[in-house]
Amino acid sequence: MTATDVLQLLADGLVLGTMYGLIAVGYTMVYGILQIINFAHGEIYMLGGFGALFVYAWVPGLRAVSLWLALPVLLVAAVVVSVAAAVAAERFAYRPLRGAPRLAPLITAIGLSLFLQQVVFNFFTLPGGSVGVTAPVPFPQLPGEPLHLGGVTLSHAALLTLVVAALAMVVLTWFVARTRTGRAMQATAQDPKTARLMGIDTDRVIVVAFAIGALLAAVACVTQGLRLGTISYNMGFIAGLKGFTAAVLGGIGNIKGAMLGGVVLGVAEALASGLLPHLPALHMFGGSVWKDVWAFVILIVVLLIRPQGLLGERIADRA
Amino acid sequence: MIPKTSTPAARALVVCGAALSLVSPFLAWTWTSRYPGNLTVYGYPGGSQLLTLAGALLAAVFTAAVLGVPGLRALAPAGAVRALRAASLAALTATWITVGAIAVDLGGVVNVEPGGWLAAGAVLLLAAGAHALPDDTVTEPPPAARLPRAAEGALITVVFLAAMYVLTYGITTDSAQDFLAFLPAAGFGVRALAAAGLTARFGALTARNRIAVAVAALASALVFPFTQTGDQYTAIADNILVFAAVALGLNIVVGLVGLLDLGYVAFLGTGAYTAALVSGSTFSTFDIGPWPFWATALLGMGVSLVAGLVIGAPTLRLHGDYLAIVTLGFGEIFRITVNNLDGTSGPRLTNGPNGINSVPNLTVFGFDLGTRHTLLGVTFGRFANYYLLLLAVIAVIVFVYARAGNSRIGRAWIALREDEKAATAMGIEGFRYKLLAFGLGASLAGLAGTVMAHLQTNAVPENYKFADTAPPNSAFLLAAVVLGGMGTVSGPLVGAALLYLIPAKFAFFSQYQMMLFGLALILMMRFRPEGLVPDRRHRLEFHDEQVAAAEARRTAAEATA
Amino acid sequence: MSTTPPLLRASGVTMRFGGLTAVDGVDLAVRENEIVGLIGPNGAGKTTFFNCLTGLYVPTEGAVLFAGETLPPKPARVTRAGVARTFQNIRLFANMSALENVIVGRHTRTRAGLLSALAHGPRYRREERESRERARELLDFVGLGGQADLLARSLSYGAQRRLEIARALASEPRLLLLDEPTAGMNPQETAETEELVRSVRARGVAVLVIEHDMRFIMNLCDRVAVLVQGTKLTEGAPGEVQADERVVEAYLGAPDDEEEPTPRSPQNRERTA
Repeated sequence: MTATDVLQLLADGLVLGTMYGLIAVGYTMVYGILQIINFAHGEIYMLGGFGALFVYAWVPGLRAVSLWLALPVLLVAAVVVSVAAAVAAERFAYRPLRGAPRLAPLITAIGLSLFLQQVVFNFFTLPGGSVGVTAPVPFPQLPGEPLHLGGVTLSHAALLTLVVAALAMVVLTWFVARTRTGRAMQATAQDPKTARLMGIDTDRVIVVAFAIGALLAAVACVTQGLRLGTISYNMGFIAGLKGFTAAVLGGIGNIKGAMLGGVVLGVAEALASGLLPHLPALHMFGGSVWKDVWAFVILIVVLLIRPQGLLGERIADRA
Repeated sequence: MIPKTSTPAARALVVCGAALSLVSPFLAWTWTSRYPGNLTVYGYPGGSQLLTLAGALLAAVFTAAVLGVPGLRALAPAGAVRALRAASLAALTATWITVGAIAVDLGGVVNVEPGGWLAAGAVLLLAAGAHALPDDTVTEPPPAARLPRAAEGALITVVFLAAMYVLTYGITTDSAQDFLAFLPAAGFGVRALAAAGLTARFGALTARNRIAVAVAALASALVFPFTQTGDQYTAIADNILVFAAVALGLNIVVGLVGLLDLGYVAFLGTGAYTAALVSGSTFSTFDIGPWPFWATALLGMGVSLVAGLVIGAPTLRLHGDYLAIVTLGFGEIFRITVNNLDGTSGPRLTNGPNGINSVPNLTVFGFDLGTRHTLLGVTFGRFANYYLLLLAVIAVIVFVYARAGNSRIGRAWIALREDEKAATAMGIEGFRYKLLAFGLGASLAGLAGTVMAHLQTNAVPENYKFADTAPPNSAFLLAAVVLGGMGTVSGPLVGAALLYLIPAKFAFFSQYQMMLFGLALILMMRFRPEGLVPDRRHRLEFHDEQVAAAEARRTAAEATA
Repeated sequence: MSTTPPLLRASGVTMRFGGLTAVDGVDLAVRENEIVGLIGPNGAGKTTFFNCLTGLYVPTEGAVLFAGETLPPKPARVTRAGVARTFQNIRLFANMSALENVIVGRHTRTRAGLLSALAHGPRYRREERESRERARELLDFVGLGGQADLLARSLSYGAQRRLEIARALASEPRLLLLDEPTAGMNPQETAETEELVRSVRARGVAVLVIEHDMRFIMNLCDRVAVLVQGTKLTEGAPGEVQADERVVEAYLGAPDDEEEPTPRSPQNRERTA
C-alpha cells in the first residue's frame, strides 16, 4: 500500500462522494421543508439514468456523433424524466397527505419507490431488445484515455462528476441565497405557516424543492452510468440509502452539509474497502461487498456522537 | 338510475334478482369441465358458483330485511339497503368475474351455458334493484339486546368458524380465476355486514367477552388441520401463520408506539439463523445441537433482542425518521452480512448465499414435529404439527400484545405516539419505553424466526430482504400491518393472509406483482389509510372530520341520555 | 410572610439560545398553598422560564430548588418530584379517552412493569383499579365525569383544558404549573377555570400560572411577578403590580407577537396533524 494508492483511494472516494452529495441535496431540501423522507428519491435518481439511455438508444443519429456532443441531450433527457416523475409524485402522492400522520407519507414513499422501480423493470425497452430490463444494461462510455494527475488516475466521467457537482453547489447556493424563490424556500423551511401568511406560495416552493432535487439526482445518475458503464433498475435503492445517509451525516436540512456528508461518506467507503484488506484483524471485511455495511456503521456512529450531523445546529426544543 | 318514486318496481327487481341468483348456481354455467371447479352440473353448485350462492344468500337475507319480514329486520340494525347493495355487489362481482373468465379461458362467450347467462342477468337485476332502493341508513342503531353469556359465547364461536370457513376457502382454492372472484366477493360481503351494523355489534360483543373471543378464535383455528387431508394447504397456512406472527410483533412497534421499523425482517432472520446454527444441521458451522425447542426459542429471542437493543439504543433518542432509515440500513446490513459470512468474502458462519440447509425438525417436549400421527381419525403430518406450534406462538404474541398494550406500559406507548412532549411531561421516559417496545418486537420476531428456520428446513439470505415478490419481507410486513389496520390484532392477521395469498394465487402475474403492490400502497394511503380493520383511534386520526362529527353526535346523545 | 422555606425557589435562572438570552437572571419563589401569577408581554420568556422549571430545558445559569432540593434536569423526574404542568397549546393524547389521559398522568405514581402487566397478578390488578378510581375521581373534580370514555379530541375546547388539568393533577403534584389556562376561553369558561384553580389550591396544591387575562390573574393570585424581555420587572401583590407604571408601559410598548424567540429548526418541528 503506497502513498499513491491511498491518494487514488481518496480521489475515488471524492468522486463517489460528490455523486452521493448530489443525491443527498434532494433529500435534504425536501426534508427541510416538509419533514418527510422522500424515500422514492433513489428511484427518481435511477429514472434519470434510464431517461438518458432511452433517448440515446432511440433518437436516430445520436449514437453516430461523439458522446461528448450527445451528452447535453442525454443530460436534458435525464433531467426531464426525473423532474417530471418527482413533480408528479409530489402532486399526486404526497400533496394529498399533507397534515396526515407521519407514517402515511413514508409508506406512500415506499410504495412509490417500488412502483417506479418496477415500471422500469417491466417496461423499459431498448431497440431490438425484449420488453423490460432484468439485468444491468450498458451505458455509453465517454471516449478518450483517462487522465493521470501525479500518479492518480481519473476517468473523464470522474472528472465530469466533480465539475458538475462543484457547479451545482455554486449555482444552488446562489439560488437559495439570492433569488426570490430561494428565499421563499428558506422561509418555508423555517416556518411554513408564517411563510404562507406572508404570501409565499408554499405549494410552489415545495414543487421547486422536489424539482431541484430530481434535477441533481438525474445528473448524478448519468455520471454514475458514465463511470460504471452500466445502470440497473434497482440501482436506486442503495443509492437512495447512501444519499439519505449523506444528508443525515451533513446535518439534514443543510444543503452544503449534504454535499459534505456525501464526500465524507464516499471517502470513508473507499478507504474502508481499500484499506481494511491490509489490516490483519479486519481484512476479511475489506472487500467491496462490505462497503455498504461500513457506510451504515458510519451513519450509526455519527448518530451516536453527533446526532445533528456535521453542519447541523443543535437547537432547543419548543415546548 | 331508477327514480325514487318507483320503489315498488325496485323492490320487485330485487326480489326477482335475488330469487334467480339463488337458483342460478344450481344450473350448469359451461359445458366442459376444463374450466376449474366443474361448473357443468345441474342440481348442485360447484367451484365459483358457491361464491355467487353465498352472495345471493346474503342479498336474500337483506332483501327480506328491506321487505320487513318479521324478525329479519333485526339482522340489519344500521339499515338494510346499503347492506343489500354491498351484498348484491358481492354476487355481481363473483358471478361476472366467473362468467367472464369462462368466456376468456375457453375462447368465447359461446362457452357460457344458459345457466351462466341466467346468473349474470340475475345478479345484474339484483344490483340494479338494490341501488334503486332509497337509502334507509340509521345513524344511531338501537343498542343490541344482551344475550345470556353462554349464548354470546356460542355466537362468537359461530362467527369465528364462519370466518375461518371463508379464509379456508381462500387458502384451498386452486384456480386463480376462483380466487379472483373470491376476493371481491369476500370484500363486498364483509362490507355488507358492516353496512348492516353487524360488525359494530360483533365488536361490542367481543369487547364484552374477551376470554370467549380467545377461546373461540383458537378453537376455530384448530379446526383447520382437521379439514385437511393432505399437507398442501396446511403448508400454505403455516407460511401465513409465520408471516402473521411477525406482522403482529411489528404491530407493537409500529401500531402502538408509532416507530417505523423498515428492517424488521432482519430480526426474523436473526432468529432463524440462530436456530439453524444450533439445530445440529450438518451445514451449521457450529457442532452443537439439536437443542430442545424452548432452548432454541429463548436463544433466538435473546439474540434478536440484543440486535434490537444495538440498533435501537443509538437511534431511539432521535427523531423518528432517523429510526426508519437506520432500520432500513440495518436490514440491508443483515442481508449483506449473512450473504458474505461464507469463508471467502468474510469469516465462515452462514455459508453465504447457500445458507444453512437441512435444518432438522423441532422437538417439542420430546415430540418430533416431523413425525406423523393420528388424532380423532385424522392424520397429522409435519405441516399440521408446525401449524399447531405456530398457533401457540401466535397465541403468545397476541397475549403479550393484548396484556402489554392494555397496561401502564401500553398506555405509555400510545401516549408517546400521540404526543411525545406531553408524555414526557407526564413522567414517561420516552427512550426507555421505546427501547422496551423495540426490544420486545425484535425478540418476538426472533421467536417466529426460530420456528421458521425449522419449518422451511433452512435459513437463507434471500428470505430476509427489504422488498420481494413473496412475504415475509420488510415491505410486505409493514404493508400487512398498515393494510390490515395498525394497532389491532385482527388487522395484521387479515393483512398477512391477504398479502400471502394474493401473490401465491396469482403466480402467473408475478412479473407485475411488485409494481401493483407499490401502487396499492400509494392508493391505500390516499384513500383508506386506516387499513381494512381500523382501530377506533386510528380511524379518527386519519378521517378526522367525518368521524369527529359522528363522535360529537354520540356525545350529545349520551349527554341527554 | 411565612418562615418555612418556599416550595419552589428559582434563583438567577438564565436561559440562552446561541446569542439570544430568553430568560435573564430570574428569581421566583412559590410557597405552599400559594397561587402565583406570572405575567408579561408576548416574548417575555414566560414559557421558556416554565420549561426551565420542568426540566425541558436545562438553565444556562442559575438553580431551581423544589422542596429544598435541586430539581433534576429530566422532565420525568421533575414530575416524580411533584411538579406537574399544562401546556399553552393544549397537548392531550388526542386519540386516547379522557379517562386514559388521566390514567397516563398517574404514570409516575404507578409501578407496573412489562412482566407484571403480562402476569396480571393481584398487585397489578389492584394498582390498575386504584388508578382507574383516582382518575375517575379527578374527572369528576374537573367536571368531566360524564365524558370519561370519549376520546380527548372529541371534547370541547374548555373540556380539553380541564382534562389537561386533571391529567396534571393525576401525578399528585405539590406544585401545578399552568401555561395560559384560559387562552381562547369565553368569560364564562374563564370564570369556571378561576373556580377550578381555587379548588385545586384547596386540595393542597400550589399553583404557578402564566396568563394574559389580567382580570383572571388579579382575581386569583396571591402574588404576581412580571417578566419583561427575559428579566423580572417587579413582583408583589396584585394591587401593587397593577398600579406599577412600568408594568403598564411594558405592555403598551411591546408590539412583538412571538411568544418565544426560539428559532425554528426542521429537526424539532412538531407534526402538524
